[in-house]
Amino acid sequence: MVSDMRRSRRERKIGDKANKSPQTQPVKGSSFSLPPTLGAPGFAFLDNTRIDQLRERTFSLLEEHGVFIDHEEAVKTLKKAGARISNDGKRIHFPRFLVEQVIEDTPKSVTLCGKTEEWDHALPDPEGRFIMRTGTGAHGFIDGETGNYRKLKMTDVATIAAVGNHLDQIGFISHPFVNGVPERTSDIHGFAELVTLTPKHVWIQPYETENVEYLMRICALAAGGESALRKRPIASCIATSFTPLELKQMDVEAIIQASSYGLAIHACSLPTAGGTAPITMPGTVVLAAAEILSMLIVTQIVGSGTAVIATPLIFALDMRTGRSLQSSIEVMQGVSMSLQLMKQGFGLLTHTYGSGSDTPDVDSQSNAERSLLGQLVALSGADILGGVGQLECATVFSPVQAIIDNEIGQMLQSFLRTPDMDDESFAWDLLKEIPQGGNFLANQHTLKHCRATLDPQVFLRQARDTYEAENRRNVQEHARDIFRSILKKDPLANLPDEATIREIKKVVKAGDAKILD
Amino acid sequence: MPDLEERLDAIYENILDYEAKQVAELVKSEVEAGTDLQIILDDALIAAMDEVGDLFSEGVLFVPEMLMAANAMKAGMEILRPLLTDSDIPSAGKVVIGTVHRDIHDIGKNLVGMMLEGGGFEVIDLGVNVAPDEFVEAAAKHSPDIIGMSALLTTTMPNMPKTIDALHKANFEGKIIIGGAPVTLEFAETIGSDAYAPDASAAVVLARGMLTNG
Ligand code: B1M
Repeated sequence: MVSDMRRSRRERKIGDKANKSPQTQPVKGSSFSLPPTLGAPGFAFLDNTRIDQLRERTFSLLEEHGVFIDHEEAVKTLKKAGARISNDGKRIHFPRFLVEQVIEDTPKSVTLCGKTEEWDHALPDPEGRFIMRTGTGAHGFIDGETGNYRKLKMTDVATIAAVGNHLDQIGFISHPFVNGVPERTSDIHGFAELVTLTPKHVWIQPYETENVEYLMRICALAAGGESALRKRPIASCIATSFTPLELKQMDVEAIIQASSYGLAIHACSLPTAGGTAPITMPGTVVLAAAEILSMLIVTQIVGSGTAVIATPLIFALDMRTGRSLQSSIEVMQGVSMSLQLMKQGFGLLTHTYGSGSDTPDVDSQSNAERSLLGQLVALSGADILGGVGQLECATVFSPVQAIIDNEIGQMLQSFLRTPDMDDESFAWDLLKEIPQGGNFLANQHTLKHCRATLDPQVFLRQARDTYEAENRRNVQEHARDIFRSILKKDPLANLPDEATIREIKKVVKAGDAKILD
Repeated sequence: MPDLEERLDAIYENILDYEAKQVAELVKSEVEAGTDLQIILDDALIAAMDEVGDLFSEGVLFVPEMLMAANAMKAGMEILRPLLTDSDIPSAGKVVIGTVHRDIHDIGKNLVGMMLEGGGFEVIDLGVNVAPDEFVEAAAKHSPDIIGMSALLTTTMPNMPKTIDALHKANFEGKIIIGGAPVTLEFAETIGSDAYAPDASAAVVLARGMLTNG
């Protein structure tokens, strides 16, 4: 009993301090500030000359070769705006003046709204931070409890929502592919479930043109009506080009509908180097840039003023096996170049995979690949790091991996906080007085700053004896403990009420009835 | 003039060196010299592609190298094929391939198609977003030995059994192979396809096996 009391007092005390630790209350207020959209400080893979070369090639690809657009209405509107249409009526050449004008007119900032302001994220972040997003499109799931692989089912959406809700780095959540519901409307089912389980911003990834309308209607219901959605867009939407240099109907439709509701567009190109794109990264980067800019132009012309987030998701074909890769070192080079081109070259907001691996499991390779990728992407100044929890080249989701990713994200954020250079950070007075054989262990300065260092909850720092005594528990097991504790937490507040959920279910049903017919 | 063995070796080597033009010329002069077509096919073209297949499986050759060799093989096959149809030599086989309805992912399907061509098969590629009816039409038009379907989206996988049903209704008697990232052996078995290939080289091995074993 006495020992219980003692423990609880100790826990309370430690708990108090831990609450003030950077994990839950990230230290803010670095005096560092950056010009908007230039992002965080750090890594400049390319010098300005090379960025200029990439930019020039992008302009000339758009002007000379153009982009094939499969959407009559959009083509007509583009023609009116000054684009040149080839004889077959579908290849659109974009003169440089038009591209430059559109880039200039595109909003350079956006707020990704949650259901309440507490979950809003302004991009670019005023302090040069990034936000993370969960992996999308996974059809496989690594069970958080057993670690076994299985098909992803509807109840896993709740798990993804719970994990996404409680991880502090996750700015928004995307829907996976859900098995066990009609395949053709799986995106509608998955999105409807997710949007009712999280107060955070959500990402829409439509699978079919006719599904877009239902996804938007669900979104409007969850936001409290169409005008509420326009005021505070609680979702944003992906549009992907069909590499090389084609925009398909669904994506133009997604752009038109999403921008009519004021949703930001993640203009996404997914080139596969050595497959649908040149194997040499500069070619792939320029191709992706041309596709993204063509989507930007379509967005601005059909839905003027809509925010566009440049989203290059670079892949490569493994030359030995022919498999698709998202985390090879060449991909990382390509991503770094793309981010620099999009940010420095065109001044746009950026989003790419900042996590994810090509291995099927939560293993050493996975953590090495995502750490490497995360560093390059964060240091290149991306506003959004996607792919949290993602494995096997974007086809599998693991909630345990997501928890590890969150901690890697915390590390990256801490790293990005450029230290102030003042007497306090130099500990100048102490340095000048330090005697021979002195130390900094127990002084006011160390005490004052000791909780500003990142205190990991997942990564281990135990001595061998402890490690052995705990049966060699590793990072995964720690992450699994956190996973279990997250599942026990109460749902977050401000989720759609019962009546709204009923309405959403009606829209899902209507979608099934219309689309599956 | 070098002896037959040396001449067949030259075709073989040129395939391994990706020299399509050379292969075509050498095959042509071999035909003109009156060499048995079966020997040109088996001992030069197929033998070279078997070697290429092995080298690829061992990780010695990379994808584009294998595809370039397949191209060179195809150049030789284009000379032989019209003559083979007139002879009683069984051809390697004909495959109709496509990505299923509502799916536009084509890299995997293209790889499989090119590798099959390299394996000596005649490949008719229907492209992407191929509806069941279009597969049925192609089956009637080309009478393939095998129909290959690719799907990359879980949403489009159900179009595989739909196509299989349509093909069966149209009395298609050949074999059906399926593949694509979300496709599994279990799925292949439940929908009544004849085989599932996890990758392009497996598809060639399976296709060959099907035609040899019937
Ligand atoms: C006949 O016998 C056989 C035998 C073996 C066969 C075979 C046939 N076919 C294949 N094989 C096998 O052999 C090949 C070689 O060894 C292998 O082929 P694969 O095709 O598997 O491998 C290729 C060599 C390389 N792999 C690839 O090329 C696919 C890579 C990924 C990243 C991918 C890409 C590139 C694209 N995509 Co798409 N895409 C993804 C993919 C993620 C992934 N890891 O697979 C996936 C498949 N896509 C997805 C999605 C959602 C979508 N995509 C879409 C679009 C696209 C692009 C156009 C941008 C592009 C395709 C470009 C193109 N020309 O093909 C959209 C759908 C469009 C449509 N209607 O088809 C869209 C809906 C996104 C959107 N909102 O626009 C996800 C599917 C989720 C699911 N479970 O259904 C996805 C897993 C990515 C994700 N996480 O979101 C084997 O599977």
